[in-house]
Amino acid sequence: MNWTLALPEITLSILAMAILLFGVLRRGESFSVCSMLTLGALLIGAVLVIGQARGFAFNGQYVVDPFAVFAKLLILAGAALALVSAQDYNREEGLARFEYPVLMLLAVVGMLAMVSANNFMSLYLALELQSLALYVLAAFARDELRSAEAGLKYFVLGALASGLLLYGISLVYGFSGTFDFAALAHLLSDPSHASAGLIVGMVFVIAGLAFKISAVPFHMWTPDVYEGAPTPVTAFLGTAPKVAAIVLLLRVMFVPFGHLTSQWTQIFEFVSIASMILGSLAAIGQTSIKRLMAYSSIGHMGYALIGLTVGTVDGLRGVLIYMVTYVFMSAGTFACLIAMRRRGRALEKISDLAGLARTDGGMALALAIFMFSMAGIPPLSGFFGKLYVFLAAVRAGYWTLAIIGVLTSVVGAYYYLRVIKVMYFDDPAPAFDRRPVGLSFVLGVGAVVTTFFFVFPAPIVGAAQAAAAALFG
Amino acid sequence: MFYAVAIFAPLIGALVSGLFGRAIGDRAAQAVSILCMLVAAACGVTAFFAVGFGNAPTETLDLGAWVQAGSFHVSWALRSDPLSTTMVGMVTFVSTLIHIYSIGYMGHEPEGTRYRFFSYLSAFTFAMLMLVTADNLLQLFFGWEGVGLMSYLLIGYWYDRPSACRAAIKAFIVNRIADLFFAVGVALVFLTFGSIEFPVIFGSVARHAGDVYHLFGTTFPVLEVIGFLLFIGAMGKSAQIGLHVWLPDAMEGPTPVSALIHAATMVTAGVFLMARMSPVMAYAPTALAFVTFIGGTTALFAATIGCAQTDIKRVIAYSTCSQLGYMFLAAGVGAYQASVFHLFTHAFFKALLFLSAGSVIHAMSDEQDMRRMGGLWRLIPVTYTVMWVGSLALAGVFPFSGYYSKDAILEAAYAAPGFIATYGWICGVLAAFLTAFYSWRLLIMTFHGKPRMDHHTLEHVHESPPVMTLPLVVLAIGALVAGYALHDVMLGPDWSAYWRGAIVNGPDNHIMTAMEHVPTWVSLTPSVVGLLGIATAYVCYMFAPGIPVWFATRLRPVYLFALNKWYFDELYDFLFVRPAMRLARVLWQVGDATIIDGMPNGAAALAAEGARGAVRIQTGSIATYAFVMLIGVVVLVGVFLLFR
Amino acid sequence: MLANYMPILVFIVIAGVIGAALIGGSLLVAHQKPYPEKLSAYECGFEPFDDARRRFDVRFYLVAILFIIFDLEVAFLFPWAVSLSRIGLFGFFSMLGFLGVLTVGFIYEWRKGALDWE
Repeated sequence: MNWTLALPEITLSILAMAILLFGVLRRGESFSVCSMLTLGALLIGAVLVIGQARGFAFNGQYVVDPFAVFAKLLILAGAALALVSAQDYNREEGLARFEYPVLMLLAVVGMLAMVSANNFMSLYLALELQSLALYVLAAFARDELRSAEAGLKYFVLGALASGLLLYGISLVYGFSGTFDFAALAHLLSDPSHASAGLIVGMVFVIAGLAFKISAVPFHMWTPDVYEGAPTPVTAFLGTAPKVAAIVLLLRVMFVPFGHLTSQWTQIFEFVSIASMILGSLAAIGQTSIKRLMAYSSIGHMGYALIGLTVGTVDGLRGVLIYMVTYVFMSAGTFACLIAMRRRGRALEKISDLAGLARTDGGMALALAIFMFSMAGIPPLSGFFGKLYVFLAAVRAGYWTLAIIGVLTSVVGAYYYLRVIKVMYFDDPAPAFDRRPVGLSFVLGVGAVVTTFFFVFPAPIVGAAQAAAAALFG
Repeated sequence: MFYAVAIFAPLIGALVSGLFGRAIGDRAAQAVSILCMLVAAACGVTAFFAVGFGNAPTETLDLGAWVQAGSFHVSWALRSDPLSTTMVGMVTFVSTLIHIYSIGYMGHEPEGTRYRFFSYLSAFTFAMLMLVTADNLLQLFFGWEGVGLMSYLLIGYWYDRPSACRAAIKAFIVNRIADLFFAVGVALVFLTFGSIEFPVIFGSVARHAGDVYHLFGTTFPVLEVIGFLLFIGAMGKSAQIGLHVWLPDAMEGPTPVSALIHAATMVTAGVFLMARMSPVMAYAPTALAFVTFIGGTTALFAATIGCAQTDIKRVIAYSTCSQLGYMFLAAGVGAYQASVFHLFTHAFFKALLFLSAGSVIHAMSDEQDMRRMGGLWRLIPVTYTVMWVGSLALAGVFPFSGYYSKDAILEAAYAAPGFIATYGWICGVLAAFLTAFYSWRLLIMTFHGKPRMDHHTLEHVHESPPVMTLPLVVLAIGALVAGYALHDVMLGPDWSAYWRGAIVNGPDNHIMTAMEHVPTWVSLTPSVVGLLGIATAYVCYMFAPGIPVWFATRLRPVYLFALNKWYFDELYDFLFVRPAMRLARVLWQVGDATIIDGMPNGAAALAAEGARGAVRIQTGSIATYAFVMLIGVVVLVGVFLLFR
Repeated sequence: MLANYMPILVFIVIAGVIGAALIGGSLLVAHQKPYPEKLSAYECGFEPFDDARRRFDVRFYLVAILFIIFDLEVAFLFPWAVSLSRIGLFGFFSMLGFLGVLTVGFIYEWRKGALDWE
């Protein structure tokens, strides 16, 4: 019973409850204090994660390996950036309630547990902890119709996805008699155990998880929720949970179902291609930049899934690197979106960015960097993310995927460049309100990581390589 | 540790003054960048002495991994062998003086723009330091491209002048052509040695001496090919004949830029590359012969053009070209030490000449044409004096620094076997004559005779402020003593104790001892022809001004040939530029406008249709969404059941 | 493996058959004479007052939800209490942890005023 392996999660849960009690017992506004405490908690979590031993805990239900540690650090970083960018926005919009950071912290606990789940039971519990917290966050601006609608949609569809997932798990359990990933892997190493029922169950599990990473055809909630939820929540939804979900998906596919690669490859090939195409096409006509980002995230998940489809160590490494670049450029982009306020009103039309280069050159430059990076223009980090997955695809002989990936990124470049064109070449709209320091910080971090990734890629690439190798065992 | 400070202080200066320059103002930005440069110079010069004289260990400071792709590993690293520290000391020192000089020279620029200049200068210095301290070819290439980029930005500093923009683009493109060869060379090095880290390359070079490529039915020794490619890269950066056309045009930049980039540091990168790659070049005798040939030819060729130019900065630019030719001449015959020594002394006196020229231009209210100068020596005595020192050093008159280094090169060329070396020696001696001639032509036209400028300009002639003259004096002292002080150390009997294996002369190369034993007349020749050149210039321009006029009219074709820079620009225009334009026009009208545009237009229409379709499903109704999800599951299950 | 589910299948079939037989039988055998009075909604012997889908106070929901949470707590306590002798100290403290979390939740809802009717 090596429960110390779960120390980061346990500590964060206790801290979450402590902050909750602190917030509710304190008189007056406690959003800022609780946010600071939460940031501290995330930092403590990161320290604990780094210092953690490797191994299995709770009778094999819970695993800590380099793969999990890599993802956990990324999740913590994404969450911290999202929390920092929420500060001023929430105060302006009257959302400065201390439950916000607490819910984020709980969601983070869920994500960390997801990443370490080594058993369908712990997987489901962690996933639900994360999802429930996110449902509430999406509806956090409860007096606003759009936010409430977003929360409700997210909840209903999320429940449906959970249902599919549970159904899949029950099928798998029914046909194999175990929840445990290692036991399943051992069982399936003999192909004769891969009965049709078990594989249908696996497909259902995939469907449930694909919902969480908003891959086509389980993406329908994404644009509405991204648009409706308060922008800082969208920033959070777009970063850390995506990492957690895709990492979880990787683990499920490679550990318990690692011997069924030939069975699920076509499924992911289909999902990946559909996501890339839909993500790039549907974004073209958008006028709201939040919806644009939603479709963009669908497309990005398509690219990341290429690495999963390929099913090699290279591919896995590609996915992890992709997620690192994705988290930082998304966090930065959303910081820009949050900063779009004029006379105290939040804006979200692409046309509101007109002439930003002349009214706020720094932000325009940062946003341009993110857009270029998302479009995959070298030497920005987005290029390397794509490079590593495409490389893996080509090496493994998945030419179709690589070619469609390149084609759709060309189409995608159109709408990213449109944002830049609006910022740099259109007649200036009135200037935005002054940018708060927190947003400038997030923006700066994102821009620096995105721009200078190529200078020191080795530590990240090396860590991703080690993480990917760990998953393959 | 302080070595790293010397490298990164300029970066900090560049970042601070560049990013916050607008916020903190020009003065603060200047102060920051100069402060950083002072720190860098202190550390850099300390490193130079510690490694060169104090026997500090030559080590490599590893800063972390950069690229790890398969078997391709590259780290950021700072190498501190005598070759690197010599360059670091020189670059930081000269660059600091030029920073200080720029305060005065750029003082008339509008407020709020100068920070940009200082930021560029510091960034350039950083890139140059990365280049010289690189421990692998990729970092060297990074610095190489970095100095190219900063050079582009600085030449085009006055971006509202069309000529400056054209010059900047020309410099960039010509360098790019050469860089292509360099990049291919680096790739071949990786293919051959399996690494681009210097220690690995140098350690295994002997094992690859026999490798050959089979191409078109003949065989090419691998190391020769690499040597050629690297040298062509060096030719571009160091403005050797054929790829020199950008250097004179680069004089459109502010004069401190010309001094720093186009005289003292960047253009010597090619020479540095040859010295750095000396262990490889030692196995490429044909490539070295080519180096010798190009070096000697350039030395003479540029000197002839220098004699006919009238723009004061262009004369010095061609002189730079010619002196770089000397350096390659030395490298070609295997005397890399002499080459680097000349590089070192040249940095002082050429920076001095450029800055003095800048001081003259400053005094003349931005007039650069020597035909409209004259009689300035009483009005700007300090500039006049230091210009004399610089010219004496350039002409190689004893005991100025140029005397030691140029003599060493010519002795090496004489001592080296083979007729190409002899050809180089002849070119070098002729060039030495011309060098002295055009230097004094410049001095006399500028400072002596009747004032030829208009009345208004003459009234405004004034000596430059101390902030400009002080660097001049420091450089003059350098030009005076650098040769004498360092000759014995770098080239004397104990040269190997100084270089400590940083430069490899090759197993059969005894040039370093052979050049000590040349006949006396050979040692005297450069001084004699130099003095002869000075005398000729005095005769022609001071006492009998009719001679040059007579010469120009009677031998008009020769004069025009030199004046028009051997028609290189026109030749390139005819050979490359115009055919490329014609081809481009055809490709544009036929290929692009009709064929290529047709495809994306069709594709764009397709994409737009797709976008409309994709958006149409997005109804906003939860029922639809759930339905799509369920259909998705059915499809996935179907996919699996069908393909199983 | 599917054979194990045979009893369930038999059960479903029998259930279906009986249900169908009862409804079908009444359709076949009984007289069908509808008139308005017979077709109108029936509510404890008198006419319905208004539509059944009426709004009522959200606080009822709140109380109901809170009730379920704490009801579940009790439901979990039963198996725990029964097996306490076998699960040892770890089991004991696990439940205490669970109760602790619920207590935090309870304090939160109390302080937020969820338990005050007005």
